[in-house]
Amino acid sequence: MLRKFKDVLASWRSKKRVLPFGVHFKKFQSILERNNRILELMADMGDKSGGEYVFDRQYILDTAEQLDDMVFKLISDLSILTQSKNVELFLAFEHIRQAIQEELDGTHAPSGKSYILPLRELGHDLSEQAGGKMSNMGDIRNRLGLSTPDGFVISTRAFYDFMQQNGLLALAREGIEAWDGQDEAALEQLADTIQERIMSAPLPRSLTSQVLAALDDLARAQGIRNIRVALRSSAWGEDGDASFAGQYETVLNVPRGQIMDAYRKVIASTYSYKAWKYRLVKGFHEHEIAMAVGCQLMVESVVGGVLHTYAPHVADGVMVANAVWGLCSPVVDGDAPSDTLVLDRAAPYSLRSLSIADKQRRLVLAPGGGTEWKDIPEGLHLVPSLTLEQLEHLAQAAMSIERYYKRPQDIEWGYDASGALQILQSRPLRFWAAPLNSEPQLEDVTRNAEIVFSGKGVVAQRGVAVGKVFLVDHNTDLTTFPYGAILVSRYTSPRFSRVMHKAQGIITDVGSPTGHMATIAREYRVPTVVNTEVATSLLRSGDEITLDATQNVAYRGSICALDRFTLTEEDVFEDSYEYRLLRRVIKHTSPLNLLDPHAENFKPSACRTYHDITRYIHEKAVEYLIRLSERQEVQHLSAPKRLETKYPLGLMLIDAGEGTTCRPEVRTATPEQIASIPLQEFLKGMECADMWCMDPVSVNLGSFMSSFTRTFPTLLASPDEVGRNLAVVLKHYMNINMRLGYHFNIIDAYISDIINDNYIYFRFLGGVTEFVRRSRRAQFIATVLEHFDFRVEVHGDLVVGRLKKLSCERMSLRMRMLGSLVGYTRQLDARMHTDKDIQEHAEAFITAMKHFLGARYDGREQRKRQAFSNTDS
Amino acid sequence: MTEESNGNGKRFRILILDDEPIVCKRLKPAFQKQGYEVETFTESASALARLKDTAFDIIITDLKMEGADGMQVLSAAKAVAPETRVIIITGFATLETAKESYRKGAFDFVAKPFKLGDILDCVRKIEQELRGETQ
Repeated sequence: MLRKFKDVLASWRSKKRVLPFGVHFKKFQSILERNNRILELMADMGDKSGGEYVFDRQYILDTAEQLDDMVFKLISDLSILTQSKNVELFLAFEHIRQAIQEELDGTHAPSGKSYILPLRELGHDLSEQAGGKMSNMGDIRNRLGLSTPDGFVISTRAFYDFMQQNGLLALAREGIEAWDGQDEAALEQLADTIQERIMSAPLPRSLTSQVLAALDDLARAQGIRNIRVALRSSAWGEDGDASFAGQYETVLNVPRGQIMDAYRKVIASTYSYKAWKYRLVKGFHEHEIAMAVGCQLMVESVVGGVLHTYAPHVADGVMVANAVWGLCSPVVDGDAPSDTLVLDRAAPYSLRSLSIADKQRRLVLAPGGGTEWKDIPEGLHLVPSLTLEQLEHLAQAAMSIERYYKRPQDIEWGYDASGALQILQSRPLRFWAAPLNSEPQLEDVTRNAEIVFSGKGVVAQRGVAVGKVFLVDHNTDLTTFPYGAILVSRYTSPRFSRVMHKAQGIITDVGSPTGHMATIAREYRVPTVVNTEVATSLLRSGDEITLDATQNVAYRGSICALDRFTLTEEDVFEDSYEYRLLRRVIKHTSPLNLLDPHAENFKPSACRTYHDITRYIHEKAVEYLIRLSERQEVQHLSAPKRLETKYPLGLMLIDAGEGTTCRPEVRTATPEQIASIPLQEFLKGMECADMWCMDPVSVNLGSFMSSFTRTFPTLLASPDEVGRNLAVVLKHYMNINMRLGYHFNIIDAYISDIINDNYIYFRFLGGVTEFVRRSRRAQFIATVLEHFDFRVEVHGDLVVGRLKKLSCERMSLRMRMLGSLVGYTRQLDARMHTDKDIQEHAEAFITAMKHFLGARYDGREQRKRQAFSNTDS
Repeated sequence: MTEESNGNGKRFRILILDDEPIVCKRLKPAFQKQGYEVETFTESASALARLKDTAFDIIITDLKMEGADGMQVLSAAKAVAPETRVIIITGFATLETAKESYRKGAFDFVAKPFKLGDILDCVRKIEQELRGETQ
């Protein structure tokens, strides 16, 4: 009976198609390959956003299409491998694909659903929803770390719903279409009608309650009982290329009860005759109009005013500030005399001239809302309204903003009662005037300047920087970094993000344009050149230089003409549609949210980017292959074997043919039973690294070894953290997928006597440890791989090394080296204390390898010599 | 900027043609900064019209465009002034199109996206060559 039952079961089982392991493994490999290509493509998009490349819309379209295609096929591969439908993954994919498509189509309707956006979450990425002015305020506050009055934005979505529900958008559109373009009175009439309708139209149902709730939250957070806010227009494009200065309404000192009326007033100003006219002149289309409204705490400034970061009509290389007692708006509106301060554009921003106005009255907040004039005590009439200290602080903030926007800025500011500087608004200042004829031509100036270096290294962020060099090494206390200096360092380090708001520019000897520091430099838009090799040897602290990080030249001395050329350039790359589009697309492709396979959110429905999907699929594919061999659902395959090692590798072996000497059914294997040549070598190397870690004295590597045993306890990652790693082995082949902690390692290698077939592919993707250390580790790995003749690409966390067509012996030595490298690297985070450690660890590792690999070791030099007699590619 | 390129004073004239304005916007200031005279066009018809009445030292043109494509611009420019050097830039780089453009007399063929420095180098190379010839 039992036998019969078994037979039935067996025949039922065999109905499910049992495929040879080779078929599964091929699919698995194709998943890995596609996975790599997707990661590389995403890294490439990151590179392109640095400013060194000229790319067009077509590039973005093509790349997005390729990514769509590859990710789709990747999911299909997984479906075939695991014979499941993966509906959830396809759905996640479809969401992301659609989001990207909407970005590409420029579907201009506000994407977000929310009416309220907190200021702390704003940045230029959200300019569609928050409008130009307020997304700038978001950058200034959240990116540059300057103070702005806290608050929120009533989104363009609210504008749309309000206007649409009252039929006002159609009214405006039809009205302007019917207008003959001549009759100004008719346009004025149209404007008046729409404004009146706006003032009396009902608001969308939940808008009022949401605004009041946000206002109450703000009051609670600030501990204010009678909250007063300023309502500021924030239209699409406002404070962008077209400044719209003074076109739209700002309502000051609004009490809670009047907020919705003030909101209507700002919205109505969108259709004032003058604003409409301005848009028509500037060539704006009617569908390009949407008005968000900023709602910020009212700041009662003690002294306030306006600063222009650039004033060539006054003098070369100066800024000009105007200041009054009280609120700053009299300076803007020009209805009260103000102090005029002219100061250097360069740190320490010395005052060049000061003219004090007779300031008899000041504008203050009126108790019932709005503003009112108050007399100033006579003793203060002729006192300078700004102290030198305040002025310097203001200048520092202003130059940070200018550098970020790559344009001279027109900044409204105020010092509040607590003495804190508040940035109220910043918009680009545009200069149309051609340079004076008497001025020397730019190319003559640059030709005569002394070149420190030219064409060395790679531009990570374009732009021009003029300032004094400040040399930084791993010991430098970054709090001493002066405002307006140019940071020069041997290595790149994400640690420098702390001073990026102060730095005019960054130059390093070593580093990659796709490394973490470069990524941050781009966020801050600090002109940056990396990998120059020579910067620290040619430059000393205090040297005055001009870095042109568009042409990649550093000149001695300050070349203001170059600075001016850049500041008056017609278009700023970062403002261009294509740049913004690329950044928006990258947001849907590259960030990784699925970090921990044990976490609850490690599931298809949580995938928000293409990176998430690829990460998920890789994990599932590895898991599947292990389970496949466990269940023995494939033909002629031995059971998966747990490799017994001293250190927690968690390695499951699948022997696909002569990879081990074990019997097929056993479930464990020892290193001695490994017959696969690449894995044998790899394990030898790993053991060696492990030995260093546990017993530094036995190998004579001095302080290097003791340095990390001191900081690191003998054991490392717990088996839990390790999870199950997979190695598929044949006699001459191995494929390892290893997760150690949170980083991933893939090694794919074939080693035999046929030189032309031999290759090693090594991929390392960093984990979730601290930013800084992660990038140090990637640099360390790249340095070592390069030393051992790998062709290496580094993109942020991703290190890919390739090696081909070396003899069996040389390949084996390198496999052994990789074993050591992996063993060594898995704990490296904790030891990478400073950037200097990168080189030191690399050198020490290479030295250790020389000992370990012995006489058979052949380094790069030897290979180079050999290259002459060897045509290997 | 090298000494040779400014040796005999006359500014080099460059015409840039690409139907995507961003390419013109990025290239124009980069070349101006080096002291070149630059004119940009986003429609091949107006670029061709301009070529008829003015000689340029260098033409940088996109390949795929509405109306006359880069190959046609190349031929037209060479017909008017055979000494004009033409650089083809394209996002659809294939070996075939590269070969064809060289056969028709293009000086160089650059695939988009490209590094700003690469195209500047390319132009500098032409300039040095031409200055060398005239000396």
